[in-house]
Amino acid sequence: MAIKGNKVNPAKFEPSQIKFYLYLLPLAVLMGAPIVYIVCHAFKPMDELFAFPPKFFVSNPSGINFTNLFQQAAGSTVPFSRYVFNSLVVTVAVLILSVLISTMAAFALSKMRFRGKNMMMEINNLALMFVATAVVIPRYLTISFTGILDTWLAHILPLIAMPVCLFLIKQFMDQVPDSLLEAAQLEGAGAFTIYLKIILPMVKPAIATGCILTFQQVWNNTETSNLFVSTESMRTLAFYMNTLSGVGSVQGQGIAAAAALIMFVPNLVLFIISQSAVMNTMAHSGLK
Amino acid sequence: MATKAPKNPHDKHPLSKRVLREWLHGYLFLLPWIFGVSVFFVYAMVRSLIFSFTDVQIGGEAGLTITALANPWQNYIDVFTTEVNFPITLGSFALSLVLQLPIIISFSLIIALLLNSKIKARGLFRMIFFLPVIIATGPVMNMLTAQGVASVPMMADMTSLLGALPQFLLDPLTDLFNNLIVILWNAGIQILIFLSGLQKVSKTLYEAAKIDGASGWESFWKITLPIVKPMILLNSIYTVVTLATGGTNEIIELIYTVTNAPTKGYEYGMAMSWIYTLIIGVILVIVFLLFKEKSDKKVVYEKRRVTLR
Repeated sequence: MAIKGNKVNPAKFEPSQIKFYLYLLPLAVLMGAPIVYIVCHAFKPMDELFAFPPKFFVSNPSGINFTNLFQQAAGSTVPFSRYVFNSLVVTVAVLILSVLISTMAAFALSKMRFRGKNMMMEINNLALMFVATAVVIPRYLTISFTGILDTWLAHILPLIAMPVCLFLIKQFMDQVPDSLLEAAQLEGAGAFTIYLKIILPMVKPAIATGCILTFQQVWNNTETSNLFVSTESMRTLAFYMNTLSGVGSVQGQGIAAAAALIMFVPNLVLFIISQSAVMNTMAHSGLK
Repeated sequence: MATKAPKNPHDKHPLSKRVLREWLHGYLFLLPWIFGVSVFFVYAMVRSLIFSFTDVQIGGEAGLTITALANPWQNYIDVFTTEVNFPITLGSFALSLVLQLPIIISFSLIIALLLNSKIKARGLFRMIFFLPVIIATGPVMNMLTAQGVASVPMMADMTSLLGALPQFLLDPLTDLFNNLIVILWNAGIQILIFLSGLQKVSKTLYEAAKIDGASGWESFWKITLPIVKPMILLNSIYTVVTLATGGTNEIIELIYTVTNAPTKGYEYGMAMSWIYTLIIGVILVIVFLLFKEKSDKKVVYEKRRVTLR
């Protein structure tokens, strides 16, 4: 840690920083590579897509893949906008519900005391590591039994309890000092006020991270469209994009590349919106 | 002492009104989660456990036909006796886990340390290192690996140096070098968790250590590492879980193929999943025992005592 005199955050470039850049820059290039690749790949014309050895950058960018994609989409019976709409409804609903459920459960598991608490955490951990393929058919049975097959609920309900989210958020909540809650308690705040006014603002970074993880899982999810929904107009964008790339073997490759870019853009937008919350992790936790 | 610490209500009146109220509130907060998990995880898992001891035929009037097996353990026995790939894949997975876990953990700790230092454009760097997390999902990732973007050219030469090693060690190592970038791409969340731990460390601690003559190396071992130790545990668990259940995992693929195969099918895949889950559980327990905090330290943290109303 380069602490130079009193200048904790140097305004100007300091020679002592060079060694950090020496490590960070090459690694940053490695980490940034996939994004550059996705963008380049989507604009590659046919001959570059299939070039051997594969090329990383595009040399003659063309929009042919996107033209193919939209032609393909225009030919389908269900309008493209319907898939987008479906995906948006499902994603927003799951995002709100799952964050609400995870934070509430995490608060109870982290800061309250009652019998059966540890067992609940164990159940969550078991759910966390269970193989998803194994629960598909029992889930199908449950969904068809409750009669929500082919509805929005079939997309939303299976995804609202996210073990990963609860796990991460609970770990962050454990770090919130108890003395803060005690102080609020003395001022007369009840459990719900503490949850809303203290806990939620303090674990914002964890919530933002959870949001990104949840968004990814829901936005890219093809499973619910595949299994729990049979009406084409109730399926999501991710599912549609998946079917598109499977059409023609040669054209499909290019369409898949374009589709990957389109599916990726919302991820990026959400990330840029939430990045300040994610990155300022637990910097201002109120107590030393 | 000016104020007396509130008495632990659990000590004297095990079921007083206040305690009951906290229980009630706890369960009220948990209720939606309990609903979601019990319907879509617990119930589904129990069903799959029952299925794994039977013979399931998809089709028929109720959608499924379930018949009892002569030997309920038949599916489990089959997994080990007829499925040649399963033990082999399991072994290579365990080996690659052992290799990858320390790499991911130390890499993310180093990056977190670098990102926590005072440098220009820190925000930008933090963003770049977290970005792979948002794209590292199935289809895009498969596309990238298929195109060979994920391997460092230099690493191919490295593997030829390892030629003298026995095959069972060589494979995971080659795999490791070929996928080094993918492994690093998976470290975004871990970096974030470490960063959050590092940001809690007060700068004055380092200054004090410096005045006392500690070198940067020493203060890393004596200050930084003990503070991030709980984060190491958390990260290890998270890493094991993501590696074990991720879509690119070979065993998950095997289970998927087996489950959808026409011959043995569903119940066989269930048995396999349960065996696999138990094994991951054992691995997690080992990880937990390796990194858990000493119990005498824990007492300090346990001292809170307020009752949330």
